[in-house]
Amino acid sequence: MGSDRLSNQIRRLRLDNGQMTQQQLADRVGVTRQTIIAIEAGKYAPSLPLAFRIAQTFGVPIEQVFQYDNEKP
Amino acid sequence: MNKLQKRAWYELAGVVAAVIIAATGLTVLVHVNAKGIIGLVTFTAAFLIAGLVSYIGNIRTYAQFDEREKKIYNKAFALAAGAFIFCTCFISFCIFFIAGGKSLIPVYVPPAIFLASLFTAQFVHSTAILTQHAWEQADGQ
Repeated sequence: MGSDRLSNQIRRLRLDNGQMTQQQLADRVGVTRQTIIAIEAGKYAPSLPLAFRIAQTFGVPIEQVFQYDNEKP
Repeated sequence: MNKLQKRAWYELAGVVAAVIIAATGLTVLVHVNAKGIIGLVTFTAAFLIAGLVSYIGNIRTYAQFDEREKKIYNKAFALAAGAFIFCTCFISFCIFFIAGGKSLIPVYVPPAIFLASLFTAQFVHSTAILTQHAWEQADGQ
């Protein structure tokens, strides 16, 4: 369910946005706190709509939140 | 503990309760040699009640799951369906191989096989959900 090749900056963006908690982010994008924890830890790759909602919450383009490493095999 | 985990524990408790009730009920029905309308009504009522409670509970809870929880739930459901098919086939063929092709078995054996498979599937479903959560937590959440 996770993705080794998908990294994200959610934790840094949360801290940059007024120390937003995982619960606050979860409430804003409509998922559980456990899902935010799993995404941050790279254990779960979110759907495209959820990824866009997270990016919109931080007010940044999606590529600033999620990075896909296509160098690895 | 989130809604999905609570649901899994609820189902697990339900399985244990259902096994006790069903085993007792089947024993009584076999003992009194229930047949015809009595057996039919009893089994239909039991399945309707159990199915309705489970269905309503699932629908109400499933709608509240987020996308990750739905994935976990659906994966567990696929495993449970596989467990049901495997269990039904395995027990049926075991009986065939053990008893032989021309032997006779009591009539309560087929429903017992079905119930055993059903309870195994439900057990696998709950366990799969809880295990997936445990794996995630073990991975350093």
